[in-house]
Amino acid sequence: MRWFETPSFNFTGTRKMAYIISAVLFLASLGAILTKGLQYGIDFRGGKEFVLQFDSEVSVVDLRENLSNPLGATPEVKLFGQEGNEVLIRTDNESEINVVQDIITSTVQEVYPDNPATVIKTDVVGPRFAEDLKWGALQAIIYAIVIIFIYILIRFRNWTFSAGAVAALVHDVVIVLGIFTILADLVPFSLQIDQSIIAAFLTIVGYSLNDTVVVFDRIRENSIVHKGMDYMPMVNKSLNDTLSRTVITSITTLFVVLVLFIFGGEVLKGFSFALLIGIVLGTYSSLFVASALVVELEERTQKS
Amino acid sequence: MQGNGFKIGSIVAFLALTIYYLLPTIQWTLEQNYIDDLSPSEAAEYREENGEDLEELRANTLSLGLDLQGGMHVTLEVGVPQLVQELAGENADQLLTDVIQTARDQSIETGEDFIDLMVAEFESRDPDARLSRYYRNDAMDITRRSTNEEIATYLKNQRESALERAIEIIRTRVDRYGVTEPSIVKQGQSRIVVELPGVEDKERVRNLLKGTARLEFRLAADANEFSSFVDQLYTYYDTYQDADADSAQTDSAAQSQFNPLEEVLVPAQSPYLVGYATPEDTARVMDLLRTQDIQRMMPRNTTVMWSANPLPGQSGQDLYQLIGVRTQIELTGEVIEAASVQFDPATNVPEVSMSMNSEGARKWGRITGANIGKPVAIVLDGYVFSYPNVQTKISNGRSSITGLDGVQEAEDLVNILLSGALPAPLEILEERTVGATLGAESISAGLNSVLVGLGIVAIFMIVYYRTGGGIADLALLLNIIFILGILAAFKATLTLPGIAGIVLTIGMAVDANVLIFDRIREEQRTGKTMKASIEAGYSNAMSAIIDANVTTFFVAIILFSFGVGPIKGFAVTLMAGIVASLFSAIVITRVIVDYLSQNKPSTVTFG
Repeated sequence: MRWFETPSFNFTGTRKMAYIISAVLFLASLGAILTKGLQYGIDFRGGKEFVLQFDSEVSVVDLRENLSNPLGATPEVKLFGQEGNEVLIRTDNESEINVVQDIITSTVQEVYPDNPATVIKTDVVGPRFAEDLKWGALQAIIYAIVIIFIYILIRFRNWTFSAGAVAALVHDVVIVLGIFTILADLVPFSLQIDQSIIAAFLTIVGYSLNDTVVVFDRIRENSIVHKGMDYMPMVNKSLNDTLSRTVITSITTLFVVLVLFIFGGEVLKGFSFALLIGIVLGTYSSLFVASALVVELEERTQKS
Repeated sequence: MQGNGFKIGSIVAFLALTIYYLLPTIQWTLEQNYIDDLSPSEAAEYREENGEDLEELRANTLSLGLDLQGGMHVTLEVGVPQLVQELAGENADQLLTDVIQTARDQSIETGEDFIDLMVAEFESRDPDARLSRYYRNDAMDITRRSTNEEIATYLKNQRESALERAIEIIRTRVDRYGVTEPSIVKQGQSRIVVELPGVEDKERVRNLLKGTARLEFRLAADANEFSSFVDQLYTYYDTYQDADADSAQTDSAAQSQFNPLEEVLVPAQSPYLVGYATPEDTARVMDLLRTQDIQRMMPRNTTVMWSANPLPGQSGQDLYQLIGVRTQIELTGEVIEAASVQFDPATNVPEVSMSMNSEGARKWGRITGANIGKPVAIVLDGYVFSYPNVQTKISNGRSSITGLDGVQEAEDLVNILLSGALPAPLEILEERTVGATLGAESISAGLNSVLVGLGIVAIFMIVYYRTGGGIADLALLLNIIFILGILAAFKATLTLPGIAGIVLTIGMAVDANVLIFDRIREEQRTGKTMKASIEAGYSNAMSAIIDANVTTFFVAIILFSFGVGPIKGFAVTLMAGIVASLFSAIVITRVIVDYLSQNKPSTVTFG
C-alpha cells in the first residue's frame, strides 16, 4: 500500500491561508486564556482532593449541598470516571487533612447511610508547594524551548530554522492550552492543568519538533542536491518528499494515543486528550507553520 | 553480510543483559503465583523458609510506583523558623521574633532561603547589632564576637543536622509501624519525601509522620483565677456586638442577646475548662479567644489548649475540651527512658506507661510533691491527653498517659515517644495517596492500552509495509522488552504515566522504521536495485533519525529534572524508549532486512 507516493501539494504557496487559520486559532486561544484564565488543577492551585468510591450511584448535587456547611464553603464535587459511583471532592478548607477527611466521610455517611464509601485517592497540595510546582513547570517549558533553539542552531547552523521550529512549538502549546480552557466545562472528564498535562505539553513539543526536524533535515539535504533551485520550491519539495513519513508516523502515534484515551483510565484522560490534539496540531504546524516561517525569514534576510 | 557480525553480537549482548535484569521480576511473579495457590498456612511456612531469597528477589524486581501498587507519598518540611527561634532559647526577645516572622513571610513570598533573609532583615533593622547575642554557644564556638555570617553558617548547619535527625526519626517510626520498602529521602535543604507503599490507614500515618513527640508536663491553671476569667469571657461576649451584625440590625433587641462564643462553645462546670466544642468549631473558638481584649483578661502565665481526644456529646457528636494550663513547662519528654502500652487493671482501658531517668524522677518527685490535689496536664504536641489530679508525691519517676482513643493510639504513642522527639515541627506540604484497588485498576488499564496499541500499530505496519512492516513489528516487540530491561537495570519505577510513555513509544518507535522504509521506497523509484536501495535508504535516513531522537531525548531530560514522582517515571520510560527504539530500528531491522534480501530476496518488499 502506498499513500502520497509522489505528492506535489503546494504547501508554501498556501501558507498565507495557513497564517490566517493559525492566527485565528492562536488569538482565540489567547483570548480564552486571558478572559477565562487557565483552569489550574490541584497541583498548581493547591487544596485538598478526595476521591470516594461508593457502592452504588450517588448524586453530585446532593453531596455538594450537604458538604457546603460542614466544610465552611461550597466544595467542588464531580463524578470521577463514567460509572457514577465515584466522586471527586475538592475543598480549600485549611484545617488538618485528618479533620477534613473526617468531616467528609462522616457527612457522606449521613447523606447515604446505606451506601458506604471508601476514600480511594487523596491529593493534598499546600499553597507553597503549588507555587513551587507551578514555577518548576514554567521553568521546564522555558528550558525546553531554549535548548531546542540552541540544538537546532548548532545542528543546522541557521537561526531561521531555530526560529521557525520554536515559533511552531509556541503555536502548538498555546493553542492546546486555549482548547483546554475553552472545553474545560464542556467535556465529561477533567481538563484541569496539572503536572501530567505539563508532561503532555513537553511530549507534544518533542513530537512536533520531531516532525519539523525531519523536514528541516530534508531541506538541508535538498539544498545541497538541488543547488540551483529557488528556495521556496525547494522547501515545498522537501515537505512533499517527507509527507508520506509525516502522515504515517502521525497515524501510528494517533492510534496509540486514542487507545490510551479510551482504555487508559480516568487518571490519564486529560493527559491523552492533550496528546490527541497536540499531535494533530503538531503535524499541521510542521507542514504549514515551521517551514513557511523559514521561507519567510530566509526571503527577508536574503533581500536585506 | 560483512560488518553484521558486530551488529548481531550487540543484539545478543543487549538481549542477554535485558533478560539478566528482568529475570528477578519474572521469578518474583512466578513465586507470587505459587504462593497464591498455597493454603495460608503453607504460604506462611514457605515464606518463612525462603524469607531471605524472596527478600533479595524482591529488591531486584522492576518496582511499581505508588500510583500502581497503592500507597502514600508525603512531602514534609522542617519548620526552620521555629527551629531558629528555639535555638535562641531564653535569649530570644521580641525583636528576634519579629525578624523571624518577617523573614518567614518573605521566604514564602519569594522562595528565597529563610536564614539568609532573616540575617538580612536583622541587619536592616540595626546594622550594628549582632545575632551572636541570641546564639552564644561555647560548645559550638559561637561567642559574643561571632560575626553574623558565622551565625548564618551555624544556623544552616543546625538546619542540616535537624533535617538529618528528622529523617532518622521518621525512618525509625516508619520501621516500627511496619511498612515494606519505605523510601525516605532528603529533598533540598529542608524537605523530606516519604514514600510508603501499601499503606491503608492514612490518618494514622499522618499523625505518625507529623508528631513532633514533644511531651510536656505542665501545671493546670490556677482554679480561682481561671474560673473567674472564664466568667468574664462569657460575660464579655454576652454584650459583644459584632461590627457587621451591628450595622445591619441596630434596632433588633434579639441581636444583643446573641452570644457568638456560646454558639460554638458549650460552657463547662470544671474550674479548669473554658468549655466544649465540636471539631468544626474549634478554629472559630480560637479566633474569638485570640482578640486583644480577651488576651488582656487571661490570667498571667496561663494559656489554653485543646484535649487530644473527644468526649461524646449529648447527641453523640464529638466534643473537645478547652483546658487552661500554665505556660511554663515543668518537665519535657527528654527525661523519658522507656514507654510501653499498659492496661488499667480496674477498667482495662489502654494507657501509655512511662519511666523517667534519675534526673527526671527527681524533678517529677518535686513537682508532684508540691502540687498534691491539683491537676498536672500531660501535653503532647500541643494537645492535652490528660490532666489527672496528683494524689501523692511520685518519687520513682513513673507516669502514664491516659485518655487515649484505643490500643492503636497507645501503640503509636509509644512508637513516637521511643523514636525520639523531632528537632522541629514538620509540616505536610504535599500528600498523595492511592488505594490498592485504584492502583490495580490502573495496572489493567495500562496493560490493555499497551496490548491494544501494539496490536493496532502492528497490523497497520504489516498492511502498509508488508515484509518491512513485519520486521518493524518484531523490532517493536523487542523494543518493549528492552524498555522494561533498561528500567529494571536502572532500578527505575514503573508508574502509570510511565506505562503511558511505553504506549506512546509504541507509536513513535516505528517512526525510525517509517523514515527508513519510506526512504528505501524513494530510492527504489530512482531505479536502484533492492540491495542498493536498502543501503541508501538506511544511510540517508540516518541523520533525520538522529536529529529527531536527540531533540526528543533533550525534552525527556528536562521533564526528568523538573517533574516529580509519576512524571519522572514518564520521562524515564520516554528516554528508555528512545534508546531502545533507536537500537531496534537501526541495528535489529537492518540485520534482518540484510539477511532476507541476501538469502530470500523474493520475500522482501516494502509495500
